[in-house]
Amino acid sequence: MRLYALAVYLFLYIPIGVIALFSFNAGRHAAQFQGFSTQWYGKALSNPFVMDALQTSLTVALASALLATLFGTMAALALQSVRGRVRMAFDALIYIAVMVPGIVIGIATLIALVTLFGWLNPLIEALWPLAGKAPQLSLGYGSLIAAHGLFTMALVIIIVRARMAGMDRSLIEASADLGATPWGTFRQVTLPQIFPGILAGFLLAFTFSFDDFIIAFFVAGSQTTLPVYVFSSIRRGVTPEINAIGTMVLAVSLVMLIAAQAILQRGRKAA
Amino acid sequence: MTDRNDFISREKFMAELYRYKKGSVTRRHFLGVTGLGVATSVLGAAMPGLRSAARAQGSIGDRVVVASWPNYHDPANFEAFTAETGAAVDLNVFGSNEEMLAKLQAGGSGWDVFVPTNYTISTYVEEDLIEPLDLSKLPNYDPASFDARFAEAGTVNGVVYAVPRNWGTTGFVVNTSMLGDLPKPTTWKEFWDMTKAEFSGRTMVHDYQLTTIGNALKYFGYSFNSIDPKELADAERLLLEVKPHLFGINSDYQPSMRSGDAWMSIAWTGDGLQLHRDMPEIDYVLGKEGGELWSDFFAIPKGAPHRDAAYALINYLLTPEVNAKEVMFHGYPVADARVNAILPPEMLNDPIMYPAQELLDALEFGAAVTLTDPNRAELMARFKSA
Amino acid sequence: MQRQALRTWLFLAPAGAWFLCMLVLPLIVVFVYSFGERGAAGGYAPAFTFDNFLNLGSRWAAFKNTLILAPLGTLICLLIAYPLAYFLALKTSPRWRTVLLILVIVPFWTSILIRSYAWIYLLGGQGIPALLNALGLGNPRLINTPFAVLVGIVYGYLPLMVFPIYVALERLDKRLLEASSDLGSPPWRSFLQVTLPLSMPGVATGCMLVFILLMGEFLIPAMLGGGKVFFIGNALVDLFLQSRNWPFGSAVAVALVLVMLITVLAYMRFTRRWAGGRDDVSLM
Repeated sequence: MRLYALAVYLFLYIPIGVIALFSFNAGRHAAQFQGFSTQWYGKALSNPFVMDALQTSLTVALASALLATLFGTMAALALQSVRGRVRMAFDALIYIAVMVPGIVIGIATLIALVTLFGWLNPLIEALWPLAGKAPQLSLGYGSLIAAHGLFTMALVIIIVRARMAGMDRSLIEASADLGATPWGTFRQVTLPQIFPGILAGFLLAFTFSFDDFIIAFFVAGSQTTLPVYVFSSIRRGVTPEINAIGTMVLAVSLVMLIAAQAILQRGRKAA
Repeated sequence: MTDRNDFISREKFMAELYRYKKGSVTRRHFLGVTGLGVATSVLGAAMPGLRSAARAQGSIGDRVVVASWPNYHDPANFEAFTAETGAAVDLNVFGSNEEMLAKLQAGGSGWDVFVPTNYTISTYVEEDLIEPLDLSKLPNYDPASFDARFAEAGTVNGVVYAVPRNWGTTGFVVNTSMLGDLPKPTTWKEFWDMTKAEFSGRTMVHDYQLTTIGNALKYFGYSFNSIDPKELADAERLLLEVKPHLFGINSDYQPSMRSGDAWMSIAWTGDGLQLHRDMPEIDYVLGKEGGELWSDFFAIPKGAPHRDAAYALINYLLTPEVNAKEVMFHGYPVADARVNAILPPEMLNDPIMYPAQELLDALEFGAAVTLTDPNRAELMARFKSA
Repeated sequence: MQRQALRTWLFLAPAGAWFLCMLVLPLIVVFVYSFGERGAAGGYAPAFTFDNFLNLGSRWAAFKNTLILAPLGTLICLLIAYPLAYFLALKTSPRWRTVLLILVIVPFWTSILIRSYAWIYLLGGQGIPALLNALGLGNPRLINTPFAVLVGIVYGYLPLMVFPIYVALERLDKRLLEASSDLGSPPWRSFLQVTLPLSMPGVATGCMLVFILLMGEFLIPAMLGGGKVFFIGNALVDLFLQSRNWPFGSAVAVALVLVMLITVLAYMRFTRRWAGGRDDVSLM
């Protein structure tokens, strides 16, 4: 059994090890190892396009995760007291959002927005009251955040609802009986109970957006996210710079995971 | 470049450039200390590249995005451009002109400079995707020194939309050490027949309908540009028959040829030269039946976000000295007499770059209709998903 | 009551608007486009024709590849993930468990692009085949084959399968197992009669997740299949990014969504009876 687990872990980590190893390659070609060097880390960190892409990815992930968590939680709360056709429509939309492949979402969003912009931009230009050039709608931050938020909002709704399903409803009734306002009940009873679900939803949404390639590939316009940048670098012919970027993202997420774990453990001990 | 005594050390230059960029010294101080001021005024007339680069200082922005082809640019030249102008270069690589067109049609490509092939430019003009070029911003472009044959496709209805970069041919590369007793193939017929037999599982074709379908058409002796339904049906039959025998469908075949995974591939001049230079057993062959002769151009798409940087980069890459360095890297011939004057003679006599006249005579330029023909596009897509 | 109704609507409005603008509207556009014609230089030209749907047969190979490799990949993921999840949930000390679990997630945090790229080397001629050759075990061609795509798929999606199964096994009441063994049943029997049935909701969730993602997969076949192993996702991307045939691409997208809905609904029907799990559990 242990041997089996070891084999699976080797399977998971050998490719990552190869990536990390070649990030220290002195040579330009990723295929042969030509001596140890950390130059590619410096190159990656001083490459303005890598930094732009990282900034875009972080902005989009943060914005879409925040919006998706806020609106998703609101919807999950409201859906508790909704029955009938509206409820069915929402359930169907959530299912479709989760089930339709990212690639279809990406392409559908692209052609819908391109068509929409094709109609709206001449309209804006015709109606623009000020002097100078009218602003033009185009793909970019907005379309990225909207397309990522769609899928992750559905995730948040599902997770928060699952959490609410396991919630003790008698507490809410008790709170109401004791004369608390609905807002007071929400803040002091409901929110603490569903908070782990909200947090999990947020983290999942952030991770999804940060790592997404397929949707971003179609709707990013001229805003390059980190995965899109990595993709174009791979096509350009891989230099160890890409390995260095991958290794850094991995190292940062590892440190964050370990830190989160340590904080949780300390919290548990304190309690 | 002529008077080395006036030049400061590279380290000092970079330090000064950095201080200038940070704003801690004035432009006057910077030009004075580095000697660029003197250089610009004295050599300005003689060296347009230097003049425009110095003029561009600080005004062109800090980045420029390029859409081009695999194994096509010397990274050192981009680095030098960045050092000189402060604009970093981001290179995006594509596998076919169709892919470039699709990206531009969808809007928001974010490109500043792209490298279309001769036969596509009229379509870009019709689709309103390309900017007319302001030649006053390209002092290093000298139409008189270019061979018109490789430059004329950049001008549509009397307007210059694109300036020539280099030209080339489409043939195939073959790893001769894998041939055994077989004679070296010299025709497209042999290329496809060997793929189905001895080289099964080891041949690659481009992810590009023009060259893959075009050279399948050559198997039957049809035109490379044919859009005749009957001839295309023949080509499709051949391609479907060959498909199980292919190693892969990819326009960047260099990694697989180098690793030995692939033994033969449809190839362009420069890739053939680069492979042959590093691995002499790999030969570049032009099919005797013919095939494609092409010319690539620099152009600026409509709505380019960094237009000044785009002009500066094109102008920089057209500097004869820089262009010569590009040629030494990529191994494609250029039609610019100024560049050929400074290239090493062995390059000008290289049979890969400059094939024998009778082989060249059989080649065709791509046609605009070949790009837009829906049947060829759909044939390629069917072939890939078969 | 009036106020509460108003609040409910206000709370639902942003999510509803988002779904409408970014999901319903784009899907309607795709549906409408699927009856159109390709523009002269590509793109879309208005028309009403069923040609695009009639032409779907020409993509049968891609549909077939997807419908074979997606379930197969899901199954292999399951077969590898189950023993690992079992080991993690039942055979490790709590101290190690956390570390080992984190180690399962971590690869998921490295971009799938970079991880797949590593396999291009490992499966390429100078990687594993060269190693096998040196050991005298033959020199198989691995890259650009369905096998390579399967390896990439399993590698990419294994963590997604391990987690739900682990959660299901971890929640399992250990006393049931003790009771079973106290009653004299051999370990394999306890496993078959207690552990396996109780872990089924986790298995169903994991399979569902991996299967849904695989049906729309495009990147792994593109990188490890070398244009020779085409999923329907690849055919779709090709239609938009190479042949610029938006209407036909839209028809393929409509077909893909329909195929997914049908298989997923059939699957849910099947597993609900089989695992007794609630449907929303089996989805997430």
